[in-house]
Amino acid sequence: MVILAALTAAYFIFSGTSLPSMAKKPVNEGPKGLASFGFEEPDALKKWEEKVFKGRVIYSVNKTKNNSYLNAYSKSAASGIVHWLKFNPKEKPMVRWKWKVTRFPVKSSASSSGNGWLEKEDYAARFYIIFPKFPFFRLQCLEYIWSEDLPLNTVITNQSFGNLKLIVVESGTKNLSQWVSVERNIYEDFKRAFGRAPSEAGAIAIMTNANNSDSTAEAQYDEIEVGYAK
Amino acid sequence: MQNNRRARKYLGTSVQTKLLFLVFFSAIIPAAIVGLCMYYFIFSMMARQMMFPEAIAANLMPVLNRVNVVVLITLPLSLVLIWVVALELSHRIAGPLYRMEKDLDERIKGTRQGPIILRKNDELKPLADKINKLMCK
Repeated sequence: MVILAALTAAYFIFSGTSLPSMAKKPVNEGPKGLASFGFEEPDALKKWEEKVFKGRVIYSVNKTKNNSYLNAYSKSAASGIVHWLKFNPKEKPMVRWKWKVTRFPVKSSASSSGNGWLEKEDYAARFYIIFPKFPFFRLQCLEYIWSEDLPLNTVITNQSFGNLKLIVVESGTKNLSQWVSVERNIYEDFKRAFGRAPSEAGAIAIMTNANNSDSTAEAQYDEIEVGYAK
Repeated sequence: MQNNRRARKYLGTSVQTKLLFLVFFSAIIPAAIVGLCMYYFIFSMMARQMMFPEAIAANLMPVLNRVNVVVLITLPLSLVLIWVVALELSHRIAGPLYRMEKDLDERIKGTRQGPIILRKNDELKPLADKINKLMCK
């Protein structure tokens, strides 16, 4: 019995085969990064820390027959989830993820006027790379957004926090309810947005919000891979 | 009744100058260290709790700006207050010393006779009394 168990264990170890219960869907087919999030496990959100800004967005791991993903549902709320991860963006500058927007926040016509900038700050899908600094108010942040109205590759500076640069990496509603893959070089994006090289990154974050427009937004995230060389 | 109060709080002696700065910096340095640590750690921890720049900008920065205004107003007042207290404390030691030194000089020159007289509440009155006893022998 012992010999049989040892032989079985040896087979799995040397053949590189996983036990069925340990089998894990590969995040995606590209190079592996410092951190991967496929949201397969029901407790996948334990690796993330919730930060409530205004009201609570419901983040949950949803499963379909072939896939599992992170779902974010915001009803007039703004809260995000953070994963602490230190890495050097010069050495491992690449990051990729998949996202899908199923509902954009409804912004009133005032959004297009000068006073409506706050409502414009609502985005169905946001992906953050946070660069902590000393003291804290020097913190820098790259934020990749899916905007329904801004042109692709637009870089904007947040009006209330100058060190927050938003980059539009998906634009329009034509891909509504479709998975879209994004791959970015954060080192190059940072240099383009801030005009200088980034320091060490300290965290990644995700947020879906609709608090300013007092509406509803919903997005899904999956196959997040952070910190790999091109 | 004779007004026995010394008019000048700062006598310009090296003893008082040293005492003045000693008391002043003894109060300022620990207060500054504790204050800066509290200021930095409280806001840093709050920022770490919020983490999202939008949340920091909307919730923390207004509080920080308000605290900065309060600090800018109260800091000079606190410094003046601590300086006044340090001056008073240093004067309580340096004043009687100055007086005793002056009296002794006059006695050495022979221009003055009799005991050294300090105020009833002076810190160095027991010492002056002992010198008086010694001079009477």
